[in-house]
Amino acid sequence: MVKKIEERSKKMKRLQIIGVIIALLAPVVMMAQEPSIKVSAKTQVVLGERFNVVFEVNADGSNFKGPSFNGFTVVGGPMKSTSSSVQIINGSMNRSVSNSYSYVIQALSEGDFAIGEASIVVDGNVVKSEPFHVKVVADQGSSASSSQGGQASSGQGSVSSNDPEVSGQDLFVKVIPSKRSAYVGEPVVVAYKLYTRVPVSQLSVSSMPNYGGFWTKECSDSQRQSSEVVNGIQYTTYEIKKVVLIPQKAGKFTIDPMVVDCMAQVVTQRSNPWGNDPFGFFNDPFFSRSYENVPKTLRTASVSFEAKSLPEQGKPASYNGAVGDFSFKASIDREEMTTNEAFTLTMTVSGNGNVELVNLPEPVFPPDFEVYDPKVTNQIDANGQGMSGTKKVEYLVIPRRAGDFTIAPIEFSYYNPSKGQYFVMPWPGANIRVNKGAGDESSEGGVYASNQEGIKYLGSDIRHIKTGDTKLKPVNSHFFASPVYWIILVALLILFIVALMLVKKHRQFKQDVVLVRNKKATKVAKGRLKNAYKYLKEKDQNHFYEEMSQALWGYISDKLGIERSVLSMETVKEAMMGKGIDETLSNEFVDTLNTCEFARFAPGDAAEKMQGLYDKGMDVIMKVEKTI
Amino acid sequence: MKKIAMILSFLVLAMTGMAQSNNWFEEGNAAYNEGNYEQALTMYGNVVDSGLESAELYYNMGNTYYKMKKYPMSILYYEKALKLAPGDEDIRTNLEIANLAVVDKINALPQSFVARWWNGAKSSLSTDGWAWVSVVAFALLLLCLFAFLMARRAGWRKAGFFAGLLLLLCLAFSVAFAVGNYNDQKRQDEAIIMTSTVNVKSTPSEAGIDLFVLHEGTKVRILDTMNGWNKIRIADGSIGWLQTESMIAF
Repeated sequence: MVKKIEERSKKMKRLQIIGVIIALLAPVVMMAQEPSIKVSAKTQVVLGERFNVVFEVNADGSNFKGPSFNGFTVVGGPMKSTSSSVQIINGSMNRSVSNSYSYVIQALSEGDFAIGEASIVVDGNVVKSEPFHVKVVADQGSSASSSQGGQASSGQGSVSSNDPEVSGQDLFVKVIPSKRSAYVGEPVVVAYKLYTRVPVSQLSVSSMPNYGGFWTKECSDSQRQSSEVVNGIQYTTYEIKKVVLIPQKAGKFTIDPMVVDCMAQVVTQRSNPWGNDPFGFFNDPFFSRSYENVPKTLRTASVSFEAKSLPEQGKPASYNGAVGDFSFKASIDREEMTTNEAFTLTMTVSGNGNVELVNLPEPVFPPDFEVYDPKVTNQIDANGQGMSGTKKVEYLVIPRRAGDFTIAPIEFSYYNPSKGQYFVMPWPGANIRVNKGAGDESSEGGVYASNQEGIKYLGSDIRHIKTGDTKLKPVNSHFFASPVYWIILVALLILFIVALMLVKKHRQFKQDVVLVRNKKATKVAKGRLKNAYKYLKEKDQNHFYEEMSQALWGYISDKLGIERSVLSMETVKEAMMGKGIDETLSNEFVDTLNTCEFARFAPGDAAEKMQGLYDKGMDVIMKVEKTI
Repeated sequence: MKKIAMILSFLVLAMTGMAQSNNWFEEGNAAYNEGNYEQALTMYGNVVDSGLESAELYYNMGNTYYKMKKYPMSILYYEKALKLAPGDEDIRTNLEIANLAVVDKINALPQSFVARWWNGAKSSLSTDGWAWVSVVAFALLLLCLFAFLMARRAGWRKAGFFAGLLLLLCLAFSVAFAVGNYNDQKRQDEAIIMTSTVNVKSTPSEAGIDLFVLHEGTKVRILDTMNGWNKIRIADGSIGWLQTESMIAF
């Protein structure tokens, strides 16, 4: 029995070897063959399946360029392998060469694709391959069912594998949106669940959708395992991920599929390569059963989503994007305080909806209130029911001025999609009394700390009209260059000249008077002395001395311009000093004057005395003459 | 006798005329305060028609036009007011505010330091203001001359000489400024564009090439006139021709 089999197998083996050699030889017979590129790959693949594309070149070449692989992702390659053989038949040597360039690619979408041409340069000529067509089909198993309206429906994912033992029925992923259409700002929960009948390990998300047009938050209650019955089959389910999506703008969106990689444990049965063996016990599952870990790539379906814009009708002026069901509270913590004491305005929004994205209204405070940046506190949870929680905003405010103030009312409005209408929650505002604080008054004896501040410019306008006296004058009339102007100037000039002339004249006059008196003086003196001389000769003492006295006094008073009324020895001396007559002479003169007065009473010869005085008088007068 | 009567009656008429004009002015002001701008303009217009003018009158008219949102006219009257009272701050401020409404933004050629100083000093007083200054300077100058010539003491003469020199300088400047302001007013060679948009041409005819576009409220200087066209220059030095009727000179 065994021998027969052995013989059989040997025979088969020999056949195989011969077949191989023939196969190898065949291409050698056709020696003069053209260099060409042959493409081999599967003609039909499943979406997401990885498969090989091999370009075989039957010659040595350089500069191999692969095709563009549009519509596919290149997972690996190009990898080159070479084989060559030499044949010598009847003395002639034939060499055959085969260079293979292989790629591993993966289809991205369904359809018919052409793998473009590859090229290589052989002996200076460019050799190209023929385009190769590949048909990409959708996943096997049930396709995604879609329904409009608010019904939750799921999309079943595909399994890509070359192994028929793990079918799409055993292992798939589903994307489960809570709604397929919502308002802008309305939260939607999207869950991703894995359904499996076989053990699964090494689960990883290889591609997450990017959720363009949505605001996302991961839910806190995800990643749970449970079991479910679908179509009569029991599955173990695992929630891979759950997110809350809030559409930010209106429109139609497509949420990309999520791609998940994992390892599935499957039972494999080795098939008999030699055909049906009548001997059954080699087919015993006990011997040939084994487990294999098969890598799987799972895709969810894509989800089409419609975001509707909020209705305009009934939208309050204060509406700022809140969607859901909320309650609003606002309060201030004190209504009476002193200046520079702080109070807090707190606003709270709570409920479910897009709480995290809610914009609380901005309060308006009176001027002279210093407002600090608000403190925002969020307590928000995203879970399977959506998003809910509380958002609190606190404003710290310090009034800087005393007085009675009002804080304007605040309105918070939101849209409730389930009721289909807007709601407005008002806060009526508050009155605040601020008393003058102790810090405002000056401390005892100290310098008053000024509480001034710059004037706040609120607006600008032209300055007001002039309402005072207006000096209306004829058009284009001026004072400048007018007759009056010239008259005034000329008048001034005339005044000037006249004044000049008058003063000159006056001075001249005065000068002349003095001059005249001066000139007269000498003449008069001589005249007097002459008289005195006559009396001298006549020996008339009384008249002589009288004449002499008069001559001298008169002379000096005229000469020096001394008034008769103030004549005396002192004034004469003074005047002589003033005129610059030297002291000796002035003393001499004064002496002479003295002698004149008292000589007549002095003892001595009358004639001698008279002569002496006369001579002296003449002498002294002449000396003075010479000086002045 | 008749002549005296005539002169007297003329004087009386003139006085009452003045009084009447003053009344119109005040009525105009009252109308303005009530917001009745049309009426205010009518009143002010009466004063102008009677041949009288003053800086206050033109300023108030400028304000009135501004309130009526007729900005080019407002600018025109502010400029007229400024010529009569160059140093007045109210007029300057309001002119600046009115100019904000002008569409054209022209980068004026920079003035030399000397030119700026000269114009600034000249503008600090009106023509008549400088005229009075010159009279006083002249009088003081003569006084100093007198001292220089007549004083006996050397100290007085020296003082007279230097003070006189200084006053001569003052006189020269004040006369120069007065002449400058006087000429500015006499020449009437500045204008405000009144048409909302005009094309400035290269030659004084409609067929001329369009050089640049100006809008109402822009101030231009008239260099020449021909055939109902004015050769104008704007603050950045550009020159062209515009029809006379598209602007009002002041």
